[in-house]
Amino acid sequence: MAKTTTLPTGHGQVQVYFTTNAPDIELPEEKRQLRVPTDVRRYGLSQILNSESMLDTSAPIPFDFLINGTFLRTTIDEYLVANGLSSETTLNLQYVRSLIPPLYEASFEHDDWVSSVDILSASSRAGKWAGQKVSPGQERILSASYDGLLRVWNKSGQTIATSASSSAGGHTSSIKSAKFISGTQIASSSLDRTVRLWKYTESEDGFSGELKPTLELYGHKGSIDSIDVHGPSNHIVTASADGSIGHWTSSKSSAPAAPSALLGPTSKRRKLTTSTSTPQRGPLSMISCHTAPATAAIFNPLDLTVAYSAAQDHTIRTIDLTTSTVVDTRTTSHPLLCLEALTGISTQLVAAGTSARHITLVDPRISVSSTQVMTLRGHTNKIVSLSSDPESNFGLVSGSHDGTCRVWDLRSSRQGTKDEGGGLVGEAVYVVERDGQKGATKRPVGGEGIKVFGVAWDKDVGIVSAGEDKMVQVNTGRGVTKSESS
Amino acid sequence: NIDPASLLPKLPRPEELKPFPTVCSTLFRGHEGRVRSLEIDPSGVWLASGGDDGTVRVWELLTGRQIWSAKISHDEAVNVVKWRPGKDAVILSAAAGEDIYLLVPPVVDPETDIVSRDLLDQGFGYATNSTQALTANGARKEPVAKWTRPGSRLEDEGVLLKITVRTTVKVISWHRRGDFFSTVSPTAQRSAVAIHTLSKHLTQIPFRRLPGIPQTVQFHPSRPLFFVATQRTIRSYDLQKQELVKIIQPGARWISSFDIHPGGDNLIVGSYDRRLLWHDLDLSTRPYKTLRFHHKAIRAVKYHKGGFPLFADASDDGSLQIFHGKVVSDLMENATIVPVKVLKGHKVKSALGVMDIDWHPREPWCVSAGADGTCRLWM
Ligand SMILES: [Mg+2]
Repeated sequence: MAKTTTLPTGHGQVQVYFTTNAPDIELPEEKRQLRVPTDVRRYGLSQILNSESMLDTSAPIPFDFLINGTFLRTTIDEYLVANGLSSETTLNLQYVRSLIPPLYEASFEHDDWVSSVDILSASSRAGKWAGQKVSPGQERILSASYDGLLRVWNKSGQTIATSASSSAGGHTSSIKSAKFISGTQIASSSLDRTVRLWKYTESEDGFSGELKPTLELYGHKGSIDSIDVHGPSNHIVTASADGSIGHWTSSKSSAPAAPSALLGPTSKRRKLTTSTSTPQRGPLSMISCHTAPATAAIFNPLDLTVAYSAAQDHTIRTIDLTTSTVVDTRTTSHPLLCLEALTGISTQLVAAGTSARHITLVDPRISVSSTQVMTLRGHTNKIVSLSSDPESNFGLVSGSHDGTCRVWDLRSSRQGTKDEGGGLVGEAVYVVERDGQKGATKRPVGGEGIKVFGVAWDKDVGIVSAGEDKMVQVNTGRGVTKSESS
Repeated sequence: NIDPASLLPKLPRPEELKPFPTVCSTLFRGHEGRVRSLEIDPSGVWLASGGDDGTVRVWELLTGRQIWSAKISHDEAVNVVKWRPGKDAVILSAAAGEDIYLLVPPVVDPETDIVSRDLLDQGFGYATNSTQALTANGARKEPVAKWTRPGSRLEDEGVLLKITVRTTVKVISWHRRGDFFSTVSPTAQRSAVAIHTLSKHLTQIPFRRLPGIPQTVQFHPSRPLFFVATQRTIRSYDLQKQELVKIIQPGARWISSFDIHPGGDNLIVGSYDRRLLWHDLDLSTRPYKTLRFHHKAIRAVKYHKGGFPLFADASDDGSLQIFHGKVVSDLMENATIVPVKVLKGHKVKSALGVMDIDWHPREPWCVSAGADGTCRLWM
């Protein structure tokens, strides 16, 4: 304890008790209790822990500290005051290795805006559904572009395959969303109001490949801005600007016939250019449940007979897909633009990005009456994409029209101000800028030229984001919100 | 010893009047030269704009992505773009020079596309000479308007109908049911104000004589009344009885624009002499409130029509100003008007700033068209 007595006097001290979940950095029982100055912050505490008399680390390990599940972001004194605690209390400080910033790795250039990205890796959802395990280094990145084309990339930024053009059965307008169903199948949705399924094949050497249209799905009357897939059951859900949620199967033989009124081109000009032999089918069901454009539809990862949808009508709806009925509606205060399930957390949560520049966390279980759990603040423009940390129950990345991706750790929170409507407010732990913005002192008005449209987080590949800069950008994703071995 | 300030009504602070737009959320760049006019479609998904480059453009509202564009004039500015009301069809109207175009942009599904095209085509069944009349000596008068197909180049792009009048059209205003629309050609003298019937391809001139140069017009949101603004007054007419109902006198020297509150009993007026005026039509023909916040001309004023007590004006000083203006149902009480936000960003070009504004049909978002060639979405 000599360490603490040599620290500057004139400040209060408080008794702390250090705990950790990581066995390799656990303190011996007799060193866990300590008196520390109350004006110390994370950095000071980290120094104390690393010191000779404590862990005696050969190279300093940066630590973060959790009190009651929330990161300490102030001095201890400020924490005590904010929480109405006396300095007589013993504070339980849980220490974890500091988070690692999501460092820039690479950018892949496109001809046009990139709306959506997905990843195929051994650990990704589609990778697990795939028959064969994706070997390390063979991961693939799927990008969907406003030029109407899908592209599959390897990690070195080489295009392995580009989808067929509109004259060869491809989309006739911008693609808004795309997902791997497996290592050989892809689904995409477009401003052209169709969902298309693609067979993806690669040459032996893995340096070239082909994306062939296999099925066109008709049923929506507006742009289809979001698609989610479930490989094992061949099911697909979509959200459209027409306010409805589509439920589809990728199986040609079990899909109903396409609604003839929605088939075919809308103008003479297009009639001449699209003559394809791709089979056309309709939805299993079309659920018109939103009163404004629907922006997201996802399967409940724990129960594939249930989907969640989000819309500009401010609601998150829970849909029973077996009966095609809405079983629950949660109304928020703002138009919702994207949705992600956070199943890792003890209570099941969904996160929705809003046009009002924040993310709202909602518990959609029917038994729960209080809806809003937490609000994540910091973006300066609409939030249009979300992806959860594949390695942590508390991590989340968001993509915004402000030109940034932000990484959130739900343990990093504070009490909201009156202006924010109170409640728990989370702040980003990292801000990922577009690489093209490097050195820029100000972001452009309205996110012009740098808007992020899509982001995906994969354990093997990292944080992959795409946007108006026509780039897919890869940042490291490991240890960003889950410290190694904690 | 009463402090006179204590007798003034206490205005709520802007923070208490949220939500209202505060920041530029999307920028729409593509027009060459001024953007003259813009409007969000009834579904709230698309933004239409028209400008000095003679093009009409349709953008994805949230992303700023241009989806479609058509050059409808090679030498004239597109002065106005307006969506036909209603969600049964998707029809955009635009005017450049003496030509009014009706078009179906390729953003709709095949079913809606057919419905929309049918609405434009059905009038071809009516006698084409119905807009013609005989003069006293039996000679055929030149028709006040010609309804034609604009030619295959434009038709291939979705521009399906052209109405040609005698002089430049500055204003288009639709009746809520979507069959009538009125246009204003300020320099056309007797035929300055025209009312067009889409289902019959018919153009009528409702006024024999106008008491000044018409600036803009609007149909009442619920009653069969029609409002015509000249430089100094706004007259309301009963369309069924064909008679003058009221003369509204804002006291402005040159009216640029006005808008009727969705409730139908209040009206805002903007003027080139920098004034914004609020009229309570039950109360008086004189303005209930005069607001002078801009140091340059006001070009456009607009109420929110989707349930928020908001209105906005646009000025040549490059800013738009957002106001909270709640109309109360109590007849004895007047609307409380609070300026809540000045939105800046448009650059002033050749002494012109913000040319037009519109509100989103559901959300407290507005859009503005600038002389700087950009449109902006504010949230
Ligand atoms: Mg009144």
